Amino acid sequence: MSWWDDAVHRAVVEAVLAGALAALIGVQVVLRRLSFFTMALTHATFPGVVAAAILGVDILLGGAVAGAIVAVGVAALSRRRGQDAAAATGVLLSGGFALGVGLIATQHGFRRDLSSFLVGSILTVSPRDLATTAVLLVVVAAVLTVCARPLLFAGFDPAGARAAGLNTGALDLVLLLSIEAVIVTVVPAVGTILALALIVAPAAAARLWSDRLPVITALAVAFGVVSGVAGLAASAEWNVAAGASITLTATVILLASWLRRYAGRRPGRTWP
Amino acid sequence: MLIEPFRVPFMARALAELALLALVGGPVSVFVFVRRLSFVADALTHTVFPGVVVGFLAGGLTGVFVGALVAGLVTALVLTLLTRRGALSDDASTAVVLTAMFALGVALVSRRPSYTSDLTAFLFGRLLTVTPGQLAQTAVLAGAILMLLAVGARAFLFRAFDPGGATAAGFRVGALDLWLNVLVALVVVAAVRAVGTVLVIALLIVPAAAARLVSDRLVAMAVLGTAVTFAAGYLGLLISWTASVGHGIQLTSASAVVLVLVAVYLVLLPAGRNR
Repeated sequence: MSWWDDAVHRAVVEAVLAGALAALIGVQVVLRRLSFFTMALTHATFPGVVAAAILGVDILLGGAVAGAIVAVGVAALSRRRGQDAAAATGVLLSGGFALGVGLIATQHGFRRDLSSFLVGSILTVSPRDLATTAVLLVVVAAVLTVCARPLLFAGFDPAGARAAGLNTGALDLVLLLSIEAVIVTVVPAVGTILALALIVAPAAAARLWSDRLPVITALAVAFGVVSGVAGLAASAEWNVAAGASITLTATVILLASWLRRYAGRRPGRTWP
Repeated sequence: MLIEPFRVPFMARALAELALLALVGGPVSVFVFVRRLSFVADALTHTVFPGVVVGFLAGGLTGVFVGALVAGLVTALVLTLLTRRGALSDDASTAVVLTAMFALGVALVSRRPSYTSDLTAFLFGRLLTVTPGQLAQTAVLAGAILMLLAVGARAFLFRAFDPGGATAAGFRVGALDLWLNVLVALVVVAAVRAVGTVLVIALLIVPAAAARLVSDRLVAMAVLGTAVTFAAGYLGLLISWTASVGHGIQLTSASAVVLVLVAVYLVLLPAGRNR
């Protein structure tokens, strides 16, 4: 019996990998204010996953196709006069969610699947899920490293980046597809709510400590990994759902970062 | 054929509940639309969950209502404060409040043995088992929401389209934001037990987005939003009834209503192009 045969060991590894992966992409999500889009993707990839499971296709493929439809849909709908991105995202979120929930309800014995979609089932993660997460971690890290400078430029000054000859449309697409890939990989293991928490909370906490992107990224990854491991430990200790305790740990880290910054802001003292 | 299913009492009550919610959903979704509060609305549907859990553990079914109400009001207050502080961006703080509160609810409920079915009930609601008492409760809340909305409407609009001007004219923008967030929270509380989160999110976002494709006048948008929601409620119930009774497909009524609503939005899309 190898080390990998123990469900708890696998869960710890998945928590570390998913925490690092989500925090890495989370820095971009927080800086570009894409949290709502991320939330919509987690819900709207759901019908794709369910449909794939019913048809017997690979669920990652189903999720990826549905996510791509949503990304293109938000871009297309928000171009309509009078429709903005928030409304278009909301419509696709509720539509996708209802479709997924409706599809799953037509199957028998769906309750367990539905709750694991929401809060994840990190303790039943398979070696194959671990390998997928690890591979994606390497790919996303590589993409973000290669595109770091252009992404930063396009994120803070889109007009300037366009004038400087960067293809901002292609950059946005790369970013959105990376976010989508992270969500599709992470959601089956950890659930939608935890996925959103792991993407936003560590990056938002790191943002409170520094203004420099490399520092923020390193801190975010550290916070993500710590949340994952400490949350699992808390879950075992107090017998609560693992996804929930990891989310709450990430929130506590954010709260502590916020309090430290808030308490440190006294008169006569300026923060960068 | 088209009215027959609604002769059954529980179907009639479901339709009445949806009609009441359509009445509220049209006008409120217009303000959610112009203030771009879609994410806040989505967050509120999730954050009432811990209130529902604590309320149920403390006082059974009546406790659920009080718990949801308290959790909704707390969220409205926290969201208003966080977005004014400016330490985090609006969307990041909304996401964090959403996930933290929902996780709190899940952590509480996961200590109970029947937790998966509790979660399912929260998602779908129990549209077909709405009682006359619940209908009365919804009607009272709907009246209160519409009254509070009517009182604040002009100030909300001023604040939405010209925040600087509203401040200069002496409106307290923070108080107005809190007021509107509380109204959205009240809609969620009124609706969530009967129709579930899936339908509440749609109710707060889709009607105005669909109506905006046809008109850019706010009053017309509110009326159209209500009409579209009611039509979707009727059609959705009818479709789910026909599918379950006639064809043996288990189609949950809440999902059917949302899907019809989104379909209406998609049908209206070509109309939006010409405006």
